[in-house]
Amino acid sequence: MVSKSSGFSTHARALRWSLLLLSGLFAGLTAAPVMADLPVFKLIIKDARFNPQTLEVPAGRKFKLHVKNEGPGVEEFESTDLNRENILPPGGSLEIFLGPLEPGTYKFFGDFHPDTAQGRIVAK
Amino acid sequence: MANVLFIVWRESLEAVLIIGILYAYLMRFPHGRQGLRFLWSGVAGGIGLSMLLALATLHIQDDLQGQRLQYFQTGMLLVAAALMTQMVLWMHKYGHTLKRNLESDMDKALSSGRLLGVSVVALLAVAREGAETVMYLYSLGLENKAGGWVSMFGAAVTGFVLALATAWAVSKGVRFLSYRTFFRVTGVILLFAAAGLLVSGVSNLIGMGVLPALMEPVWNTSMILDSNGRVGAIVAALTGYRSQPSLMLVLIYALYWAAALGWMKWRRGGGRTRVREESQPSRSSA
Repeated sequence: MVSKSSGFSTHARALRWSLLLLSGLFAGLTAAPVMADLPVFKLIIKDARFNPQTLEVPAGRKFKLHVKNEGPGVEEFESTDLNRENILPPGGSLEIFLGPLEPGTYKFFGDFHPDTAQGRIVAK
Repeated sequence: MANVLFIVWRESLEAVLIIGILYAYLMRFPHGRQGLRFLWSGVAGGIGLSMLLALATLHIQDDLQGQRLQYFQTGMLLVAAALMTQMVLWMHKYGHTLKRNLESDMDKALSSGRLLGVSVVALLAVAREGAETVMYLYSLGLENKAGGWVSMFGAAVTGFVLALATAWAVSKGVRFLSYRTFFRVTGVILLFAAAGLLVSGVSNLIGMGVLPALMEPVWNTSMILDSNGRVGAIVAALTGYRSQPSLMLVLIYALYWAAALGWMKWRRGGGRTRVREESQPSRSSA
């Protein structure tokens, strides 16, 4: 049974969602040029090790981390401190957006080789 | 080799623990055996899904595919957390009526809706841990270390068997617990595990930029227990602990417990009244 009120609320809901989508799109578009100016840091995974093992980054700023797995095994860039868990097959690469970080040390590790794949990001 | 054994043991343990608890729940019901096929089909489905997930992860071509997969995995985590929590809350409400063997309660308990929930929780638990394990073993195969593939496979199997043994030992241990204590203990374990899944899911959403961190980190207890370390990671998975959590995580974690505990406290009053109305005066619960 369709009542008058349900028809109105459906319109209102549709309007709300479209506004939400539009604002999301707008936010995404305006954010894009900002992303392009971010400092980029490179991280290589090779032979079960991260290189470099310590990354110094500016505190309080967003930045990009470009991770590449040069193999031979699968590895994961994982950090409970940074809320990231990304698996990289050999040859794969990934861009991770991080920050802004408070000054401090944030550990990351490779779950597939926990003994050797250890690293940290130091925000200064 | 020890590494392989430990990792497979760790990955298997969470899934085996959850399935063990589900098994124990079913067996507490007089006709629970009928529900077991739901449990095992969930496990089987989970094995299948874990293979698909591993395949998908290893064949990601671009960031968009990676993002889609992460959304899917996050969905799995949140659904599992919700179902497990619902299960515990339901058990809390109906657990004490099971002894009285009322037909209506039995039907309600073993309704296909409930059993489907059991199936899905098992499926998600196995898929989650299974995918990681499959990828890990695949990675070992790629690296083809000097130790040899056979011994690595052996270590993996041993790790899995040890996980089964650990769960078996735990199940033997809990047999000494009273009915009530058993449900309380398993309820706590499942709620903490669900909280852990919730934290992982929310953490993913923060990492993907869907949710804001708000403030990070709220505290730094990594000198006490680092959630990035070996032991810390297990605690993190089973409880949701984080050594440097963001404010968003802390808030959601607090909200989760407030809601779960609040619901149980509210429900307990209603349940007791019902028991008093319907049970014989001479009967008393253990």
